[in-house]
Amino acid sequence: MAAIHFGYTISKPRAIDLDRNNLRKSDEILREMPELQTCIGCGACTAICTAGNLTSFNFRKVHTLVRRGEYQGAYEEMNKCMLCGKCRLVCPRGINTRGVVMLIKRKLGDF
Amino acid sequence: MTFYAPFCLPFILGAALMFLIVAWKWGKWLWLLPHEDKMRILRGLPTRRTVAAIGEVVSESLLHRRIFRVNPLLGYMHMSLAFGWFLLILTGWIETVAHIGFRYVPLQGHVFFKYFATGLEHKPVFDFLMDLFLLFVLSGVALAWGKRFYSRAMGMHRTTKHVLGDRIALSALWFIFPARLLAESTTCALYGGGSFLTGSLGGWMAEHIGVMPLMTLESVAWWFYSSCLGLFFVALPFSRYMHIFTEIPLIFLRRYGVRSSEKESSYDRFQVEACSRCGICIDPCQLQSVLGINDVQSVYFLRDRRYGHLRLQVADNCLMCGRCVERCPVNIDLNTLRLNSRDRMRNVPDERRYGYFKGLDRSSGEGKVGYFAGCMTLLTPRTLTAMSTIFEAAGEEVWWADREGGVCCGRPLKLAGETDSARKMMKYNADLFRKHGITTLVTSCPICLKVFREDYDLPGVEVLHHSEYILRLIRAGRLTPERGTTRFTYHDPCELGRGSGIYDEPRAVIEAVGQLLEPASTRENALCCGSSVANTAISDGQQVQIARAVAGELEATGADVIVTACPLCKKAIGRGTKGEVRDLAEIVAGALK
Repeated sequence: MAAIHFGYTISKPRAIDLDRNNLRKSDEILREMPELQTCIGCGACTAICTAGNLTSFNFRKVHTLVRRGEYQGAYEEMNKCMLCGKCRLVCPRGINTRGVVMLIKRKLGDF
Repeated sequence: MTFYAPFCLPFILGAALMFLIVAWKWGKWLWLLPHEDKMRILRGLPTRRTVAAIGEVVSESLLHRRIFRVNPLLGYMHMSLAFGWFLLILTGWIETVAHIGFRYVPLQGHVFFKYFATGLEHKPVFDFLMDLFLLFVLSGVALAWGKRFYSRAMGMHRTTKHVLGDRIALSALWFIFPARLLAESTTCALYGGGSFLTGSLGGWMAEHIGVMPLMTLESVAWWFYSSCLGLFFVALPFSRYMHIFTEIPLIFLRRYGVRSSEKESSYDRFQVEACSRCGICIDPCQLQSVLGINDVQSVYFLRDRRYGHLRLQVADNCLMCGRCVERCPVNIDLNTLRLNSRDRMRNVPDERRYGYFKGLDRSSGEGKVGYFAGCMTLLTPRTLTAMSTIFEAAGEEVWWADREGGVCCGRPLKLAGETDSARKMMKYNADLFRKHGITTLVTSCPICLKVFREDYDLPGVEVLHHSEYILRLIRAGRLTPERGTTRFTYHDPCELGRGSGIYDEPRAVIEAVGQLLEPASTRENALCCGSSVANTAISDGQQVQIARAVAGELEATGADVIVTACPLCKKAIGRGTKGEVRDLAEIVAGALK
């Protein structure tokens, strides 16, 4: 019986080697925005996202990857954000998400 | 008669240096103005605007009318220093002419006329006037001293923390007039003359001090007076006192239609240096009054920007609510300056950005009236449903621009300083509105409203806030809400009230469905909800703290329901109260039969 295709996909499993990744930028970001560590990864920001509604932009995924030292393409992804601020209003941990977007762009502009 | 004595030297050097630096600054700023602004000035010069500007210079630079509105005593203090000094200079000039006719007299001759005029016959009228005006200025100096110790008497809870340069200039300024009193009095003691102030003090000195010590004292006093003046003049162009001269060209340029924009220009220098650091902007700031943040207010922002040590953190930490703009006695365009600083620090033009807008159109419905919910209204679905009910009840055919998702209006990104990218969003939305041929654009978000009106090029499209639109429907008889007994209080959203000048329409709508109670701070003075998109620096907890303070004031009216006309304010205030918070559209939709 062929599985019904609902239009969703699952990211392929992969391992991130924290020992090999350069965490300097990530540390800097967390130092400037320590509240990001309180993120529970609920994804409300991404569910409500204006840009995420129109594209594949996934704020939760991008900032989680950045914190793990995976900076490749993060700047370009963050540039899809329109900074409308809805995510900040729905975040159950009250994280300054707009600040996070701008901080990541500022820190990773040259990646 | 020679008008020179060695003690004049500090004054002459100081004055010459000051005039040179001020002229150089003005010349440079004017030269660097964009071409269109230069043309504006040239076109404006021979018109009535020049006359109006002269009038404003008198009423603001000399009389300080706007400060009187903040507090009469504070206004008097500033007026006595500025207008009093001006009167002293003017009357001194006339006095010289009255004594020796229209003859060239060097600057120090006018300023130290009392010293040089000892051989001339006395003119009691001038003696009296000069003493009167000196007393006028001295009363201002006394008040300024008093203000250091007890600023509340002048309606100011907090005053500016000054930098060293300002302190030097301030001290020099404070000593100028007492020094002048002393110098003129000793001369009067030796040679007679003077009126109720210098004359009386001089008479007393003549009685109690011998001639020889008095002559020494005279020399010392004039040297001291001249040195104070010289020091003040040297410090002036580098301190806050640059505002004395800068406010004048600023008033003229503003009258000719020169404005600051989202990009920095040399006109901004006139605005930045016209700030007197009076600190009137500190008290209305909620970041100060609620959160105790005391280094980001407009006065400090302008200071940091002027001296070139502005940090992004300071530029970012502002709600841009505009409460300080309302109070600023110099009418500096504080929000625009803050914005173009952010632009300089953060704007990164990127051609490829927002490529995904291409071909995007999720709008639905057909109609000449377009409705743009905006991101925040999409997050407050009750407002959206209420608007839908209202459109249906009024029988309006509506084109829904973004009910199924759309592009943000661009204002949040613009306020963050990424102005070039924000332009892309604005262009996308404007093209979308044109494509669907709407003639009226209704939005229930004041943030969107402001950007539609100010930055979008939408000829033939009337942009309305939903409060204006609903009021029109009610007045045209297309909506007949039932007036109940509920008591409402209204929170003025910053972008709607101070930002777009819409105060009466929402109130009229509320009056149509119930009773309206005004909170303590209202209209131009209304508080900000604290969650403004312009601020990316304060934390969530701090936003809630401000929301609680605002909600407290709204609840104090005893109203059953808090009403606002902004989805963001609604969300924000909702976090600060256990009571009911509603959007304007909701209460109207609820009152429909």
